Amino acid sequence: MRYWEDFTVDWTLEFGNYAVTEEEVIEFATEFDPQSFHIDKEAAKDHYFGGIIASGWHTGAMCMRMMVDGYLNDTASMGSPGIDQLRWKKPVRPGETLHVKAKVLDRSLPKSKPELGFVKFSHTVFNQDGEVKLTMISSGMFLLDPTRQPREASQ
Amino acid sequence: MSTVYFEDIAVDDKTVSNSKTVTKEEILDFARKYDPQPFHLDEAAAKKSIYGGLIASGWHTTAILMRLLVDNMTNKRAGLGSPGCDDLRWVRPVRPGDTLRYESTVVETRKSGSRPDMGIIRADVKLFNQNDEVVLTLKSIGMVKTRPK
Repeated sequence: MRYWEDFTVDWTLEFGNYAVTEEEVIEFATEFDPQSFHIDKEAAKDHYFGGIIASGWHTGAMCMRMMVDGYLNDTASMGSPGIDQLRWKKPVRPGETLHVKAKVLDRSLPKSKPELGFVKFSHTVFNQDGEVKLTMISSGMFLLDPTRQPREASQ
Repeated sequence: MSTVYFEDIAVDDKTVSNSKTVTKEEILDFARKYDPQPFHLDEAAAKKSIYGGLIASGWHTTAILMRLLVDNMTNKRAGLGSPGCDDLRWVRPVRPGDTLRYESTVVETRKSGSRPDMGIIRADVKLFNQNDEVVLTLKSIGMVKTRPK
């Protein structure tokens, strides 16, 4: 189990092997992002993107799934307050396989919440050819390790 | 309804959406697929967490916002997609039974420097629950076609 103390600045990890299928792209977009270039194969051909592409929020959700399986479920994660910057760099298309690189940029201990700390991460989603698809600067909240030094000493 | 082009959009333009109620089954279904953390998936574990009960994945909340945006705004525009967004904050947890709606205010409109057929719209977007509490805020960036000559 990883706690806040384990996420030191410059900690990095690569993980994920997410195969993007046409069926899932259309299913997600039909529910959450029904724009023609996400759900209509024929219409998408004539569009700027030249074929159906995943909703950007679907790419974010796929990134989240890889993060949970890649490291979060083995941490004392308490969720996230938000994302400072999210960029969809290139369209994600059915048939691609995605992976993620995570890096810790910064961390802090809020005065208001003595039991947890914040970690600022960079996450980058790549396809199988190393093409960057999504970049994200976001924060995570993690419990402090109850077996370690009191928080004054751990900062 | 006529298509909305870049020239039709001005700073301070406001959009208010219809609302969408989130069910427990939807929260669990989304979390199983995309965010299987205990506080999104396991009611007993969620009760013991800092959230005190099941909450929606933040990505589920953004996906619901996107659906409201598409139905109320995006599909009326000559849209060209989005490069991303800034300052997304999950201000309050979204819980089963919550009813969500957004308000969006245009804060900037500018023509693209590289593509004369395109403009860029920035907006402040707030998502509210049924108690008028803000649950999510973000700054959106949208690309919209200019009116054909």
